[in-house]
Amino acid sequence: MKNIKKNIIEYPYLEKPVEVYERENGHKIVFAYKKGGLINISSWVKTGSINENDINNGISHFLEHLMFKGTSKHKAGEFDRTLESRGAIVNAATWKDYTFYYVTIPKGSSDKNFNDTLNLHADMMLDPVIPDNEIGAPFDLNDPHITTKRERHVVIEEIRMRKDQPWTKVYNLLNKNLYKNHPYKRDVIGNEQIISQISRETVLEYYKTHYTPNNITTIIVGEIEPAQVLPLICEEFDFKERTNAPQTIYEIDKPENETKVVEDYSKINTGFLMFGYLGPKACDIKTSTILEMICLILGQGQSSRFYQELIEKPKNPIFNIISSDYYHFRDGGNIFIDANFKPEKKEEAIEQIKAQIKKLYTEGINEQELKKAKKKLKAGFAENSETVSDIGENIGFYMTVCNKLEYVEEYIKVIDEITLEDIKQTAKEFIDINHAVIAVLMPEEYKK
Amino acid sequence: MEKYILKNGIEAIIKRNKNTPRIALAMYMGINKDETKSGIYYIISQLMYQGTKTKTAEEIAVYLDENAIDLCIEKKADYLRIKLQCLNEDIEKALEILEDIIQNSTFEAYKKEAEKIKGEFLSDLDSAKIIAQDDYYRHIFQNHSYGTGRQEIINEINLITKEDIINSYNEVKDNSKKNICIIGDIDETKIKQLLDKHLSDLKNAKTKDERKKIIPIENKTISTVEKEDANQAQIFQGWLFPSIYSEEYASIILLNTILGSSGLSSRLFLELREKQGLAYTVRSVYEPCMQGGHFFVYIGTEPKNIKTSIIGFDKEINKIMTEIISNEELENAKNNAIGKRQFYQETNMSEAVLKGYYEFLGLGYTFEEELIEKIKKITAEEIMQTAKKYFDKPAVISVLAPKKYLTESALIC
Repeated sequence: MKNIKKNIIEYPYLEKPVEVYERENGHKIVFAYKKGGLINISSWVKTGSINENDINNGISHFLEHLMFKGTSKHKAGEFDRTLESRGAIVNAATWKDYTFYYVTIPKGSSDKNFNDTLNLHADMMLDPVIPDNEIGAPFDLNDPHITTKRERHVVIEEIRMRKDQPWTKVYNLLNKNLYKNHPYKRDVIGNEQIISQISRETVLEYYKTHYTPNNITTIIVGEIEPAQVLPLICEEFDFKERTNAPQTIYEIDKPENETKVVEDYSKINTGFLMFGYLGPKACDIKTSTILEMICLILGQGQSSRFYQELIEKPKNPIFNIISSDYYHFRDGGNIFIDANFKPEKKEEAIEQIKAQIKKLYTEGINEQELKKAKKKLKAGFAENSETVSDIGENIGFYMTVCNKLEYVEEYIKVIDEITLEDIKQTAKEFIDINHAVIAVLMPEEYKK
Repeated sequence: MEKYILKNGIEAIIKRNKNTPRIALAMYMGINKDETKSGIYYIISQLMYQGTKTKTAEEIAVYLDENAIDLCIEKKADYLRIKLQCLNEDIEKALEILEDIIQNSTFEAYKKEAEKIKGEFLSDLDSAKIIAQDDYYRHIFQNHSYGTGRQEIINEINLITKEDIINSYNEVKDNSKKNICIIGDIDETKIKQLLDKHLSDLKNAKTKDERKKIIPIENKTISTVEKEDANQAQIFQGWLFPSIYSEEYASIILLNTILGSSGLSSRLFLELREKQGLAYTVRSVYEPCMQGGHFFVYIGTEPKNIKTSIIGFDKEINKIMTEIISNEELENAKNNAIGKRQFYQETNMSEAVLKGYYEFLGLGYTFEEELIEKIKKITAEEIMQTAKKYFDKPAVISVLAPKKYLTESALIC
């Protein structure tokens, strides 16, 4: 095909290399071969709460819901019904850096399922109409007489649901305190006030701005021959003269200079807390991988330091649950420590975590821990190569958040090259206790 | 795929899936007797990580993590299930640790484990949905082990003695049916040798269920849970349904698909979410166990919508009991249900779990193919008959919300 760039990527644990194509308009198409009866088709859009402000917070996620409400050719519900009646799983998700839409469907004995899915998926991505009767009229949240409830209400119910989840509450409290200026500070789902009022025109304008060829990567995973279907995908994804979106650049906030503790209360019986730190940009693969390794050593699995030192060994442990994880974001990741604890021991709980963190950057880790972390990270990558949907999500992440898939080729090599000193230095740089933001959710009776 | 009988009579399904990096093993161990105190089998499942005659809990954890072996021991309604997964090259190490924990667990740390479980469950019970779900199970399976919730376990776990644990574990280890399914890029001859080497000292026995039977629901039951700070009401409405052995199993699968088991095109989803905007999550669930099962519908909604939601449930249940479904909806449901079943076998572990489960139940590992053929033959009349037969019986409704919304007029529609 003319004017299309091709790149080949050696992807660990897959039988064949992954093929990446970039069209002249910037639309990327990726093929990963996975033997089996299922095919995953997804399109990843480089927009999420990163492109939102205080006025339109939640619009990316609301648009994600509204994308399922029909096109010029197909009424609302046809997409879901047609594909689900062939055994497909259909859904979408919105996060800080991206929004993605996917269909996983049995391949069947002919090309029909693939062709029809591609046709419907491309149609949904390129021609959402967002009818007035599906989005519903803006309304006053305090008006008890609203009887016609449409998609706005569904999203508001999703917001309500999250308010009843203690882990989500403590995460949101932490997240908004980790940042001062960066759009990452906002909750991806937004709030009821904005969702109840936002207009159809505003949503459509947001769609036109961000759903552009250079912002979209379409990924096909399964037993598919790329040469056969690439022309079809280019034909289905006809962006016409759509103008490409400008690439946004935001400066990430500086870490806190001293430990910041924020507290909230709820009708709960146990205490929930999260430590958070700012990490490097997602494209800094080496540092991000070191931080993944640190989180694994600190708080993943029963041999982790947190589990052994704070739950297993103490006679009367303060913690019910404790773990740590690393989240990758385009402009800078987050290191998290999540814990559930006995509320009467809040101060001790925080001090015990701090002591474990300090030990990490003063004493480092040992060879055995390093070896374990390397093996587990590789096994984790193997695990993420077992289903067509996991492969699609991993590719989507690299293409959208890191901007290139080549990093995946280096991943195993990067893991192998990490040293004990790398761990110690990176811990010192990113997990210094004085840079922590600590969010705590306590039972109401502890409110002073 | 083949069935191999170990020297001790335990049946192992062995299947080679080429070019897959990890091997998966699922092992089922039957539970034949009721718990003498709530939580015994759960604490056993947790204590199996906590030390053997030769390894401390920490040594087991380090061994598993260093070798990237995933070990998961689950207490389910009718069995303990061990799921073991590792990179291909580590299968012998994985089977060594499996043998050790099955044969040599000491259960010494039971007091500490009881405290850990209490802490974890208390944390779970800070979720409104889990509180409501536990309440629903308690009422649908009244005085039956299937209905044991977190609160019952919290209340009784400290009464459990080491002797209780060892007696119950020995009962499972020595007097219950066991079976294995192992799938991956394996050398079949070598795997047979390894299974015999590590698991043939176990005793196998036929399942003889001595547990109490499920008590029928005689009257419609409405249970309420007050939670003043709940932003959403949690509503579960359920009925007792038959087990997987039932002749109606295939038609129940279709009934569930049509009503709301998955996806964006089910009746409950379209009516209560898409048309009425009542919820983000609304669905139906059918859970078959060995003695029997249950079928429930669930919604999380603004508390003032309780009445509208229950009326919405009633309307959809009534409709499927009284109106024959169209040929188009029937065909769509069949293709949907059959297509989705491919997902149940996408990974080595999910396939091992499914085939092992069928073998454990005595249905045979080829049951999946038989089931698909049965689904294809189900008629619209059969679905309506099944719906009538079970939905006509008294339901259990469990509702969690702030007190002011739990009024008689909201709940009794």
